[in-house]
Amino acid sequence: MSEVEHVHFTEQRLAEIGALAKKYPAARSALLPVLHMAQEDFGYLPMQVQQLVADTLNLRLMVVREVVTFYTMFREHEAGKYRLEVCTNVGCMLNGADDLVQHITKTLGVDIGETTADGMFTVTEVECAGACSGAPVVQINNEYHEKVDAAYMDAFITKVNADIDGGQA
Amino acid sequence: MISSDPKQVKAICFDRIHLVGQAGLKVARKNGAYKFLPTLLKDFDSEQIVDEVKKSGLRGRGGAGFPTGLKWSFVPRNTGKPTYLLCNADEGEPGTFKDRDIMRYDPHLLIEGMLMAGFALGVKDAYIYIRGEFLAEANILDAAIEDAYAANLLGENILGTEFSMNLTLHRGAGAYICGEETALIESLEGRPGRPRFKPPFPAVEGFYRCPTVVNNVETLATIPAILEFGGDWHAAIGVPNNTGMKIFCVSGDVNKPGNYEVPMGTSLKVLIEEYCGGLKHGTVPKVVIPGGSSTPWLTAEHYDTPLTYDALMKAGSMLGAGAVIVMDETADLIAVTRRLAHFYAHESCGQCTPCREGTGWLERIMNRVEAGTGCEKDIKVLSDAAEHMAGRTICALADGAAAPILSLLKHFPEVVQERLMENAE
Amino acid sequence: MTTLYINDEEVTVSAGTSILEACREHGADVPYFCYHPELSVAANCRMCLVEVEGWNKPAASCCTPVGEGMKVTTQSESLSKDREMMMEYLLIHHPLDCPVCDQGGACKLQDYTMEHGAKHGRYSEVKRAVLDQDLGPFVSTCMTRCIHCTRCVRFADEIAGTGDMGVLSRSDHMRIEGIVEDALESELSGNLADICPVGALLDKPSHDVSRPWEVTRHKSTCTQCPQGCDIVIESRGDEVIRIKPDVDGAEPWICDRGRYVHAAFRSKQRILTPMVREESGLVEVSWDESIQAAIDILKDKRVGIIFSPDWSLESLASIRLLHDSVFEDAKVAFDLHRRDMRAFAFEEGFSMSSLQIAAADQVVILGCDLRQRLPILMQGLRKRSNEGKPVTRIGAMNYRTNSELSADALIRPREWVAVIARAMQQLKDFGKTAAGMDAWLENVEVRHEAGKLLADALLADSCALLVGEEIRSHSDAAALIHGLDLMMRAAGHAEAEADGRNLVPEGMNAQLLSAAFGDIRVSAGDLLDAASDGELDALILIGSDPMGDGLFSMQAKRAMEKVPLVQIGAIAGQTSEFASVMLPVAAYSEVEGTFINMEGRIRLAEHPLRSLGEERPLWKVMMRLVQAFGKDVPVVNLAELRLRVEAFIPEMKGVWDDGVSDDWCLPVVRNRDVSCAPNAIEPAMDLDMVSRYSMYREGMWARASSFLADAGDIHALDDLLVHPNTLKDAGLNVGECKIRVASGDYTYHVGTREDVAQGVLFISKRGVAGDLSCEIMASLEGDQ
Ligand SMILES: Cc1cc2nc3c(=O)[nH]c(=O)nc-3n(C[C@H](O)[C@H](O)[C@H](O)COP(=O)(O)O)c2cc1C
Ligand code: SF4
Ligand code: FES
Repeated sequence: MSEVEHVHFTEQRLAEIGALAKKYPAARSALLPVLHMAQEDFGYLPMQVQQLVADTLNLRLMVVREVVTFYTMFREHEAGKYRLEVCTNVGCMLNGADDLVQHITKTLGVDIGETTADGMFTVTEVECAGACSGAPVVQINNEYHEKVDAAYMDAFITKVNADIDGGQA
Repeated sequence: MISSDPKQVKAICFDRIHLVGQAGLKVARKNGAYKFLPTLLKDFDSEQIVDEVKKSGLRGRGGAGFPTGLKWSFVPRNTGKPTYLLCNADEGEPGTFKDRDIMRYDPHLLIEGMLMAGFALGVKDAYIYIRGEFLAEANILDAAIEDAYAANLLGENILGTEFSMNLTLHRGAGAYICGEETALIESLEGRPGRPRFKPPFPAVEGFYRCPTVVNNVETLATIPAILEFGGDWHAAIGVPNNTGMKIFCVSGDVNKPGNYEVPMGTSLKVLIEEYCGGLKHGTVPKVVIPGGSSTPWLTAEHYDTPLTYDALMKAGSMLGAGAVIVMDETADLIAVTRRLAHFYAHESCGQCTPCREGTGWLERIMNRVEAGTGCEKDIKVLSDAAEHMAGRTICALADGAAAPILSLLKHFPEVVQERLMENAE
Repeated sequence: MTTLYINDEEVTVSAGTSILEACREHGADVPYFCYHPELSVAANCRMCLVEVEGWNKPAASCCTPVGEGMKVTTQSESLSKDREMMMEYLLIHHPLDCPVCDQGGACKLQDYTMEHGAKHGRYSEVKRAVLDQDLGPFVSTCMTRCIHCTRCVRFADEIAGTGDMGVLSRSDHMRIEGIVEDALESELSGNLADICPVGALLDKPSHDVSRPWEVTRHKSTCTQCPQGCDIVIESRGDEVIRIKPDVDGAEPWICDRGRYVHAAFRSKQRILTPMVREESGLVEVSWDESIQAAIDILKDKRVGIIFSPDWSLESLASIRLLHDSVFEDAKVAFDLHRRDMRAFAFEEGFSMSSLQIAAADQVVILGCDLRQRLPILMQGLRKRSNEGKPVTRIGAMNYRTNSELSADALIRPREWVAVIARAMQQLKDFGKTAAGMDAWLENVEVRHEAGKLLADALLADSCALLVGEEIRSHSDAAALIHGLDLMMRAAGHAEAEADGRNLVPEGMNAQLLSAAFGDIRVSAGDLLDAASDGELDALILIGSDPMGDGLFSMQAKRAMEKVPLVQIGAIAGQTSEFASVMLPVAAYSEVEGTFINMEGRIRLAEHPLRSLGEERPLWKVMMRLVQAFGKDVPVVNLAELRLRVEAFIPEMKGVWDDGVSDDWCLPVVRNRDVSCAPNAIEPAMDLDMVSRYSMYREGMWARASSFLADAGDIHALDDLLVHPNTLKDAGLNVGECKIRVASGDYTYHVGTREDVAQGVLFISKRGVAGDLSCEIMASLEGDQ
């Protein structure tokens, strides 16, 4: 992304955004959904993407900056291909989330918030995922994995790594 | 099928939740979804609906427990401005996971509830604000909304009547505070979710400064049954002033964590022992947080408390959103408190001085206390800092942040005392 | 009205007032940080807690409306503890660096810590540090001191309209940031340092210069634009440290021009001693010698006098006395932006107060860069458009107003006639007529659709018409203004009490200028041409710089090369190159004086600073010249001089003894019987010239201020600007272009901007291409 000077939305996206904006009393309401789209399209939200969103919705850049920095799901920096977001709030904590985090970080050799050197995994702790009956919960790229234990994560990591080695990543 | 005999009712929101394919419109309709809607649109007027809901005694399931019918009656009519209905599906309170099940297993129930509420309130545009992490649920809801549009259950002249309503699903992006209704409105307006002070209340000046009703998913999902069977029917379930069924999200140290919809007034003990298969260790819980992490703790002495707004209030806590977090004798209460302190420090929207600065301060002290390097005066500082956050801010997040600290200090001073200086040089 | 009890005292306030405002009105002390009377309520600092009887928790008084019978307590043990805790929370991350902080001594945080805080803070964890930012030449930051009250953010959104400050992130990572390229995009940015209650946003020019307790303050009037804001000059010794808005004044803000002009007071450009030109250049001489030198140049000569309209009333009266006593036949000019000297149907100055303008149903801005010209008035209009009230603008450039305009049209100067004709036609069609309309319309064939916007606005019940420099300096200004006047009469906006005719003046004191000089004024351009043509023998400039300001710099240069110049003033400027004699005059910060602003409000500037050198108040210099010429000295003291002012403006009788109330406004000349039909000349060239006014560069004082010069560089536009299509039509690209005007061919850099009307050549910078300002038409020529 950093090399890309000019970013733009595809025609299709623009049409989608146009239709979306009409669903609200004011287009500015579409800001969160459009940032989600932009993040999907560009992977994360560096300044030029934020500027693009501002221009697309005819908002001031500051409005976009405020929103991007407020919400934790918006990333201003590139993350790994797989984002392992472990809920460590009370429900999961009572069910071993802390040990799980320790296990994952040790296995991958990174600290919380870091990305593995190969750019495959980023490990973060997140707040209550709203699925405490399935504690501990790990969200992997927006997908919920419930009742996760060390073995489950090992299997997942092994599979991803095998795919890389097999040239499929 | 929901029984028309209040004594026989097993479930309201979860009545059809386990039916296979219920998320699809066809199956849902076969199972009774939207069955009563045509009658309602034809035979009821707004006032009647609000009256039925008032009569039902339904109280908001999002946390505050405010009577739903009363809230609806506050919406001014004929202001010349549109009225908006917003469904609060932000479900962020640690310990809650009920709305998620309604949305992913029976989305049409929610849509039907919103249609009925929208009809009662004269709403043209309604929105569901769903927490950003619930992507799978959002996709299910989106599909359901699309189906409903295709079946003329949403959009212009619904089922051939005068009534038209649009429904839009809107995803949040990771901020607990957006569950607070005014923060939700700010967020839906494309801004950071920073709560607004009240008055003015959303009913008068909410979304884009127009009259707005914000209701929780469970609240709205209860509406179809109330209108089909009548307010009195609902009022006969549960106990007076605490009527109907309530979903409790039980998590923590129980054998069968999960969502249980039970009549209001069921005791905590019954819920844990009869529904949740009892505690993992021991016979009496050390701590139960009855309404989600923001509610004060109950201890063993309150194990028999009936789960109602009033009884829990009397016991010094709150029913909140019905998120029952159970801790048995193995739980490290200091670690739990520290973790919750971290949660509130992370989620404070940052605008109010006591909350912005206090939550971080509490967390940092708790870090030390947990590490065994606390000191005697930390106890006074913790209680001072927590006490002066609660009730002095724009929204109730600060109260929620104070609750675990104050509960810990109140019920388990000796536990804290013991840990202080444990590892100090 | 609502009656409530504040600390057991019964008070009555208007319904909907906040408890805090009720307390402020009735002298009950409630501490606060985030509240600001001019900004929306944020209620985030939580310092303003009070107790209300029957409520189970303390209430934030700034956001709680009063209720009938409410019993409010502002002092209690529990509130003291709350306030103590609020201070403790706020100071958790504060660096506690008061000894090195400019705000120290004038800091709410410091004051409240003393008043409400505990002796010791109990926070012993790591402190947060926040990165500082570069917000441009006027505001410096120390963001670690920020208490997140968001006053600055609300100011940028609501007052400046730039929205370039914001609140990023959340929790205790929350921070205030500005998005700025080189500097804040606001002509009001200096106010940020004032509204920041702590030392986070500070005044950059006075950074590390003084501490609040070292300065003395005196009230004065800013003379940097016709608004004439009430200011407080903060000085240490005789040095001006800061200029701030007067909190008791009409407006809570002042613009950056008025605030930072004070660097000029001590600049090298000041004339501090009398000087005379010798072979070697200008040399310092005694007052006697300089006066003698002036006499040598001026005695029995044909003299032209150009003075600045921004002198105080007393000074202006003394200029007239000099004229009458010594130079009875001299030509006199003061307006450097006016080409058409025929009488205007309504003269410069406002018929309405700023408040009335803000309250009008419709506001129409014609050909005016109001944000640069009258930034404080523009601020009021911005507030009005925030409330959804309409503002219409028509002109040659979409000068950025930082606010929503309800209607907007770009037109070129030659189209004004057609715009007015179209509007007039519409009024007639609606049955709104005035005698003279038919005559005006008679020879005008053309119609321009923008006229519809004008007519639509004029059809409202009340309409404030703001006529700007594009019309005032138009070569056919009298006819255009006559046309506008006819429409205003027809639409009922010319009656007493409902007069909406406002002609944005070049400077202050329009009433005195027309009363004292109406009979003798000529066009500055003509006067200068007369000098070049040998019709004059000498020039006197009194505080005016026709080389640097206005439209006639080319003529000025020519004239000064031709005839000797006596320069009387406080600032030397470019003209001093040509001066044979310079007589030093006190700055407006150094003398007592009286001013009339554009609304007709009388402003008194009192308690002067001491002079820096040998300069004297202007009136004394004038009288000394009278005396030196051997004439009777007409006035010997300020009181006598003021009687002369009263003679010109009888309404002012008693002002200096009794004072005036703020709602009293002096009327300006209106309802002149004129009848000038529009000139029907075929334009000889295809482009119209429009010259831009820059608040950072126009005026001798501004140019002499190093602070404003910095801002001027940052905010400068290209020398010459045209619409991209204009350049394309001429087959040219951005870059050096040959420009043909009546006086010859020139080569300048031409840039493009979408918001310049097509067919307009916009001169945006003084000095470089500024010499072209006198031209009204041009064409782009040839290859590049
Ligand atoms: C910090 C905070 C978080 C909240 N989170 C939620 C939430 O996630 N879901 C919800 O329905 N209500 C939440 N609420 C309650 C809402 O503000 C509001 O009372 C509720 O949506 C009203 O709906 P109801 O009347 O149907 O309960 C929260 C309140 C606070 C103070
Ligand atoms: S209490 Fe906390 S979360 Fe609520 S508005 Fe204030 S700062 Fe924001
Ligand atoms: S002044 Fe009321 S909260 Fe700041």
